Amino acid sequence: MHINAKKKMLRDPWLLTGGILFFFFATASIFGSAICPHDPSAMEFTPLSSPCAVHPLGVNDCGQDILAGLICAVRNTVLFGLTCAAVSLCIGVLIGLTAGWFGGIIDMLFMRLADVLLAVPAIMVLILISALFQPPPLTLAVILALLIWPTISKAIRAQTLIVRESPHVRAAVQMGAGNSYIIFRHLLPELFPLYLIGFSGKCRMAMFMEASLAFMGLIDPGRKSLGMMIHYALKYYYLDVWWNWLLPPVLCLSLLIMTVTFIVISLEKMLDPRLRENFGESAV
Amino acid sequence: MMLSSRRFTKKRISLLFAYSLSALLMIWLSYLLPSLLPGDFVTAMYSTSEDVTLTAAQESELRAYYSQDTGFAKYLIKLIRLDWGNSYAFLTPVSELFFDALPWTLLLLVSANILAALTGFIAGVEAAFRRNSRFERSLVSCGTIMEGLPEICTGVILLAVFSLYLGWFPAAGAETAYAELSFQEWLLDVGHHLTLPLASLVIAYFPGNFLLTRTSMIMVISQPYIKTAQAKGLSGLRIRYAHAARNALLPLVTRFGLRLAFTVTGAFVVERIHAYPGLGTLLFNAIRLRDLPVIQAIVLISSIMVLAMIMLLELVYASLDPRVQDAYQR
Repeated sequence: MHINAKKKMLRDPWLLTGGILFFFFATASIFGSAICPHDPSAMEFTPLSSPCAVHPLGVNDCGQDILAGLICAVRNTVLFGLTCAAVSLCIGVLIGLTAGWFGGIIDMLFMRLADVLLAVPAIMVLILISALFQPPPLTLAVILALLIWPTISKAIRAQTLIVRESPHVRAAVQMGAGNSYIIFRHLLPELFPLYLIGFSGKCRMAMFMEASLAFMGLIDPGRKSLGMMIHYALKYYYLDVWWNWLLPPVLCLSLLIMTVTFIVISLEKMLDPRLRENFGESAV
Repeated sequence: MMLSSRRFTKKRISLLFAYSLSALLMIWLSYLLPSLLPGDFVTAMYSTSEDVTLTAAQESELRAYYSQDTGFAKYLIKLIRLDWGNSYAFLTPVSELFFDALPWTLLLLVSANILAALTGFIAGVEAAFRRNSRFERSLVSCGTIMEGLPEICTGVILLAVFSLYLGWFPAAGAETAYAELSFQEWLLDVGHHLTLPLASLVIAYFPGNFLLTRTSMIMVISQPYIKTAQAKGLSGLRIRYAHAARNALLPLVTRFGLRLAFTVTGAFVVERIHAYPGLGTLLFNAIRLRDLPVIQAIVLISSIMVLAMIMLLELVYASLDPRVQDAYQR
């Protein structure tokens, strides 16, 4: 069963594409600035000059090298997504496991809190907070994470309710295992597939929101980001900046979101029990 | 049966409670957050300008003019009476600006949702019935790729190609300004302006609807009654839409409702790219000018609209399909 799933995973073209793209972006954000010799925030070149050997993507209106900015922006977006996803995963898993295992009043309290948060439109809170306070982007990522953990914890809780009835967990309880032992040694590792889905789903959502907020001018203008690059480049559309200034961030953002989407979709197909049941059934 | 329906009612009440609570939370946040603001409009407006230098007296006068010293109860009452204060930048009532922009947003979003749901539904049904064919595989691939395309990118690309390069569609606005048009011409003009933002949104919403319909259809198709319908010799179209699709419709309806609920927030970026004069553009300009009452009102009212939509959906949902009373989680 396990090996089978792994084989299936390796043959899935979407996961493969997503993985390759992911590897590409990871390399670009780790080593990118070493290859590109310019400082992304240095305003020392002729503004709006066209691409040349020194500036492969040209120079923007502030006299900054666009390629260096692009690399920096990709890194920022990825960092934002990863931070938000990691924080919301931690909260979601902890609360989901606790609620599912202990049940009763703890479960009720956590799940009602989750319901309330699910109903709060996260993007609106973010718009309000960043319009008013302009917090550093990583703070924004954590705030977003505090708002979006409920879906993860609901999935984890549901699965915990199933696993807690399974024979080996019952046996462990019979043998006197404590709550924390069962949660950390049995439940936590067993629900691993759900973490992957939750993590990549939230990562996608966070990157999307970061781009939208930056595009609307709600994130510190000194920080490079794909949304903001698109926003500024759009102002100079009449100068034919399409392919060297506007298209690269558009392309990068699409590819980034696609990377995560492909991974999410194939993971869900592989690991979501509701979808897996229908695997291989023939159609009419 | 009795028990489950009671459980369901209980669950529904608790969900409604949660929605009301979060609506209150949003109102309270929109009341509380601005008062925590370190800088304010006066500073934001005049600190950057070099031509205007204010004396201390003038500044405090301005500050008094712009300050909003009210209690929470007063704030609530004003809110209900549509008295949302005056815009700092335009000096007109915020509600006026809001209701000027709202129809355009509604037009854009309702039509985008309907179009995306229809096309997604039909494509999903057809794909599910042609499972493992080349048609299905390429449609699923297209859907998956489209799912990965953020609205910002589709919007920018459509704008670049069809409006700025080819010049087929206008780049901004919802109607031609100052044009003397007959009603029919005006309708055409509005449609012309609507096309690009609409296309961006339909491309963004289509894949979700399509993939969802396909998945639920695949689950429905394996049911015995479809085999029965086939054995009776009914036509393919009849089986697909009258028998199978009806039972796969529910998740799509839910999604449609949720989508409609999030419409107000969903189109901010697209509206901005195509300079469509809806709430998104209004909000964008308000952010640029730090026009606090406008930001506050748009954020608040549109989130209340979202919550009201979800609550409504929650109330009508059970009447759609009694089978899945408990399945509605979000």
